[in-house]
Amino acid sequence: MEAIWLYQFRLIVIGDSTVGKSCLIRRFTEGRFAQVSDPTVGVDFFSRLVEIEPGKRIKLQIWDTAGQERFRSITRAYYRNSVGGLLLFDITNRRSFQNVHDWLEEARSHVQPHSIVFLLVGHKCDLEAQRQVSRQEAEKLAGAYGMRYVETSARDAINVEHAFTELTRDIFALVRSGDITIQEGWEGVKSGFVPNVVHSSEEVTKSDRRCLC
Amino acid sequence: MSDSESTAADGSEAATPSPAAPDVAPDVAPTRKARRRPDAAAPAEAEGAPTAEPPAQTSSESTVSQGGWGYWGSWGKSILSTATATVATVGQGLTQVIEKAETSLGIPSPTELSAQVEEEEQQGDDSSKTDTLAADGSSTVGSAMGMLSSLSSVVQSTGKTVLSGGLDALEFIGKKTMDVIAEGDPGFKKTKGLMNRNATLSQVLREAKEREELQSAEKESSDCEKRVVAHYGMLFDEFQGLSHLEALEILSRESESKVKSVLMTLSGNELVELRDELDQIKDSFSLVEFDDEDVDESKDEDGTEFEKEVTEALEQLSVSFTADKLSTACKTACSQINDMSQTDKKEDEGEEEARKPVSVEEVHAAAIRSLAELTARSIELFHKLSELILFSSSSADPSVLSQLVVVLCKEVSLLSKKFTTCLAAAGLNEKGDILNPLITGVFLEASNSASYIQDAFQLLMPILEISHIQKRAESTQHKLILFDSMGEGKFNC
Repeated sequence: MEAIWLYQFRLIVIGDSTVGKSCLIRRFTEGRFAQVSDPTVGVDFFSRLVEIEPGKRIKLQIWDTAGQERFRSITRAYYRNSVGGLLLFDITNRRSFQNVHDWLEEARSHVQPHSIVFLLVGHKCDLEAQRQVSRQEAEKLAGAYGMRYVETSARDAINVEHAFTELTRDIFALVRSGDITIQEGWEGVKSGFVPNVVHSSEEVTKSDRRCLC
Repeated sequence: MSDSESTAADGSEAATPSPAAPDVAPDVAPTRKARRRPDAAAPAEAEGAPTAEPPAQTSSESTVSQGGWGYWGSWGKSILSTATATVATVGQGLTQVIEKAETSLGIPSPTELSAQVEEEEQQGDDSSKTDTLAADGSSTVGSAMGMLSSLSSVVQSTGKTVLSGGLDALEFIGKKTMDVIAEGDPGFKKTKGLMNRNATLSQVLREAKEREELQSAEKESSDCEKRVVAHYGMLFDEFQGLSHLEALEILSRESESKVKSVLMTLSGNELVELRDELDQIKDSFSLVEFDDEDVDESKDEDGTEFEKEVTEALEQLSVSFTADKLSTACKTACSQINDMSQTDKKEDEGEEEARKPVSVEEVHAAAIRSLAELTARSIELFHKLSELILFSSSSADPSVLSQLVVVLCKEVSLLSKKFTTCLAAAGLNEKGDILNPLITGVFLEASNSASYIQDAFQLLMPILEISHIQKRAESTQHKLILFDSMGEGKFNC
């Protein structure tokens, strides 16, 4: 039976080609690491439930975009309906880090009139020996754009859960505070289903609390 | 647009009344009638049925022309025409179904009804109870029309496949109609029929899924029925069908507005020339003919035949893309069918204790799941093809694509036939009122699947058009001026 979720958030994952976007998402949604994977064509889709607080589940719908330049004009069309995003670069590839700025600019210009919450992800952190981007400079860049910074590894499953959950929590906080609202014709945030009949006393108190805020 | 309208009308008018319904006037077109909301004017219109046609036609025509050159506004409208195209092909022979359904349900036809009302009114003149009788009459008509409208939406979405399902299907339609009336659920119409023309296909499917989620959430909380329930819409979403459909719609919409922008910049001979070329593309989209009478059940035991046909089509399209997911989905379904029919055979041989026989619910759930998966994967394929067509220099032949649609629809039909054979075998000892709805449920979802595939295929049209314009521009001087002025310099030139 389908688990019940409070909200559905649509997240978009962007970044240069071969930084490991699809691998990160696959690790998160399927729990495995694919040694070989074909370049993404256009966009692919994944989804998973995340429990941000006991009993509070969020369904994440993840749009995995192609990093290749030739697909850029398609992926542009997909920003608008996303509430959040992971911006990936490869810590062993300085060029992919330098392009972070361009990715942000591109996203910001196509997301209007909505805004999008980004998390900067330094991927492939298992390859410490080949590191070309230091944690300090990545954190500095993230700070300059008001983003959090996380270093992950899909191969060794480092911080993968953490990255997605943190982003989800941040968005959830914005939704709860009313900074992000559900809008007709916008797919970024969707309201989920809460059963009419509540089984446990625990859930009763929870729904009461929700009403207060 | 008007072409397909008229074919639909011709189809229903040309249809001969079924022998079971001798009272129904042959020139009445219940399909169109029934589609309307119940209103007081309905019986009056039913009298002069053929003349009641034009208003319906003009109203839909005007919506389309409104779409005109509008940038974003045009989208919903273009879906109108595609939806109609599907309905026109799927809807052939609907008249008979409705007539049969009407007679089997004992519903009088609109003409009968109006005659009845007149009669009652005449009688009413003589009696002192004029007002009450007339009121009674109109309420009968009103509710009957309401019934017909929900009936037609079921039938509409059911289409050809169900026709082959025969009497069971009709029985099911009848039951379903009764359910609809019993629940008084106007939303049903929106879900099952694609008749709500203002909605995009993904919206329709999303709404269906959300309703199912809500239902199952309610069911879960009341935790009564422990039955295996398969929800097509939810499964379709689980296989990411909705997302691919939405992305395909985005691409289609963008391509459509680009095509329009290009056409606007042209004039004179150039415009005529390009229009002609685009019309040729359009033609191959309206030529998709799929007849599930041709589907041979004994063929393709394990899905390899299907894989071969899809691969061949993809090779002809010269795109570097494999339909692995699609083939896997198909093979899984085939092996499930084989497994399930083997259990049945063993059961027949008296080895009942050896293995627990599959329940009809299990077969039904497997069938719905397979159909949802195959449809989702088909739409994923269309989406991927669009992306590749748009961003590679390969030239996609629309006729190969329509061949692909036929292959996909055939497979849907084939699977539904195999699954229902399994169902019938598994449910030998079940009562008809348990088994029949399940069987027709499979046929219904199979038919829906085929409609979704065909509707999604229509979304490819603007993509092929813009791709053609791109290729064309590559060979002329126009290209840079055109695309740069549109801010689309990023096209692979």
